[in-house]
Amino acid sequence: MSDSPNDDDVIDRAMTEEIADAGVAGPSAPVTEEGEVEHSGLPIRTPQYGGLHWLGRVLVFAIPLGYLLIRVFGVTGIAGDGWSNSGLGLLADALIIAIAVMGVNLITGYTGQLSIGHAAFFAIGAFTALILTQGKVSTPFFGEENLWDPGWTLPVAGVVCFVVGCLVGLPALRLSGIYLALTTLVFVEAVRSILKYEEFAGVTGGATGIKGDKYTPPEYVFDFFGIKLPTGLDGRGDLNQWMIYLSLGLLLLIMLMVSGLIRSRIGRAMVATRDNELAAEVMGVNLAVIKTVAFGLSGAITGVAGALFGLKLGLAEADIPLFGLFGAITFLVAMVVGGAAQIWGPMVGAVFYVFVNELARSVGENPSESIFSFAFDEGTKLDGLGGVIFGILLILFARFAPFGAVGTFRIIRSKLVQVIPKPPAGSLAARAMAAEDD
Amino acid sequence: MSLFIQRMFDGLAEGSIYALLALALVVVFRSTGQLNFAQGEIGTLCAFFASTFTLSGWPVWLAVLVAMVIGFVIAALVERVVVRPIEDRNPGAVIVALIGVFLAVNQLSAMFWGVDARSLPSLFPTDADAFIRIGGAAIRIERLGIIGVLIVLLVLLFLLFNYTKIGLAMRAVANNQESSNLVGIRVGNILILGWGLAGAIGALAALLLAPSAGLTGTLMLGPFLLASVAAVLGGLDSPVGAVVGGLLIGLLKAFLIGYVDFLSDMLFPVMLVVLLAVLLFRPAGLFGTEKVERV
Repeated sequence: MSDSPNDDDVIDRAMTEEIADAGVAGPSAPVTEEGEVEHSGLPIRTPQYGGLHWLGRVLVFAIPLGYLLIRVFGVTGIAGDGWSNSGLGLLADALIIAIAVMGVNLITGYTGQLSIGHAAFFAIGAFTALILTQGKVSTPFFGEENLWDPGWTLPVAGVVCFVVGCLVGLPALRLSGIYLALTTLVFVEAVRSILKYEEFAGVTGGATGIKGDKYTPPEYVFDFFGIKLPTGLDGRGDLNQWMIYLSLGLLLLIMLMVSGLIRSRIGRAMVATRDNELAAEVMGVNLAVIKTVAFGLSGAITGVAGALFGLKLGLAEADIPLFGLFGAITFLVAMVVGGAAQIWGPMVGAVFYVFVNELARSVGENPSESIFSFAFDEGTKLDGLGGVIFGILLILFARFAPFGAVGTFRIIRSKLVQVIPKPPAGSLAARAMAAEDD
Repeated sequence: MSLFIQRMFDGLAEGSIYALLALALVVVFRSTGQLNFAQGEIGTLCAFFASTFTLSGWPVWLAVLVAMVIGFVIAALVERVVVRPIEDRNPGAVIVALIGVFLAVNQLSAMFWGVDARSLPSLFPTDADAFIRIGGAAIRIERLGIIGVLIVLLVLLFLLFNYTKIGLAMRAVANNQESSNLVGIRVGNILILGWGLAGAIGALAALLLAPSAGLTGTLMLGPFLLASVAAVLGGLDSPVGAVVGGLLIGLLKAFLIGYVDFLSDMLFPVMLVVLLAVLLFRPAGLFGTEKVERV
């Protein structure tokens, strides 16, 4: 009859809550304690999962999904079976964009700071990768020519964009909502102007940008003291395939890190900042630190995606659409379409955005052979039809799935599967349940 | 000196276009708290309509008026059909819907009018000798006309907002929708009216810009960006701020290109600095009202 429960109680409760979380809880859920003990003052514990738990959860989803992608899209490279090389390129693009959207999701979805500026980080990441691989600046370690190995440019792009992101985060301390969004949009255009500026042409290539070789996929995934894991790819023809592996791997890693981050102290502070800034501050959240760090991290994630994009393209040029207004729109739309503040949202949203956009474009190019064939004569060509269809699709999506694909899926699931939280052990409700079971 | 005056009027005329578009954005923002991403594109579409009308022999002023009416109707439809059904839900969804409108309207013009540039005759004389001398500088009538249109429109809007029942109702709705509803204002109709009004003003901006800039599908992309910056600079809920912001950005652009050679390609970096400098001291813009939160 003590006020504080002993350790066994806590462990027991944690275990049963794990089971409850798995969705099997209900009136028949196991009740750990019954009888005399009156524990009105039991601490309410939210389930705390360790890193391994999340690794497991991600892998459980990722392995079937990866297998599905490989089967459906014919990534195995069987000739004439599955998708063409351009289809593989699209999938690689979608995954790279998904990483970029993870960054936007972190700052806009979780921290609530509306940013249309992430195209700038994407551009900076791509330029960082190309500047390093093409030896535009002198650096230690990579020899006289300063030609970096492509793989090593990814972390550098992340660090550069983290620093820039922290700087961009500073105005967010004062601004909010649309004021912040438009400031970040001007930031995109400003970065583009600076990248194009002729005075810096020695590093950034000026208006023509930096043209490099396309990324040559390595022979081995790793080569560790003679233990080699071959990629099974030979040379440049399999670039798209390699980019799919690489970006899918990175995407999953980043999802794992973000889902961990959100459950950490910093992540909780981010969500609290989003939900009510004033309340968060009163509760002891240091808004300045949280906003700056959140901007830095999200910039770093998008920067890594930009580096991947630059390496895949073998080109960094300020006029590439994804580096400007178009990119800003793409990332924001993909985030909302997937589901803001949902860990799977960016992946779903980016794949939706890229493939539906492609579908609309192909319908627009050849309307008489599409599902709208009844409305068009043979061989009709309408320039803007693809864009119009895509725009209307977005309007419909916003109307009928305002919380994004993943959010809508959750709403539907919650209607079909009812999760009844287990009452605290020893409480009246729990005893009533136990009595019912008997 | 004459060069200075010349550049000043260039800047004011260009700034007037941004001011008009910013005004449209502010009218929408005041009524629904949204930034209408499709504002510029609706204007472009109206300019294409006007070019078709003038090609079939209509006088220019009639084509412009009808195009403005079309702008009113399209923007009102966007409010009623696209925005209102999702309004009370997710602001992110509204942004996506408006981006959808942006894409669809932008591509509609490509669909019906092709991708080649078209010409739209100006409301004002554009002959080689159509200019007025002010302080030694030759100012084109077209430039003065654009500035004049802005002034006339401002006066009309001032009268509308301050001396008519509808204007009073619009101000009430901008202030507090629920209370307006309770005193018998039909909020829905007022919102439609506000969006429509913004659509017509945005169309006017495009119609004034198209004769000198050339009418293509991307006509309003750059101006929209600058106008939204102007609106933020002046304060998103302040019509006066929108006009001041627009003119400021026009002047900044003209003088930057004219006088500071090494920064002529660096308009946006300079603008970012100006924007941050203003917003850090006045986070709601020069003339915007800061939201006061009761705790």
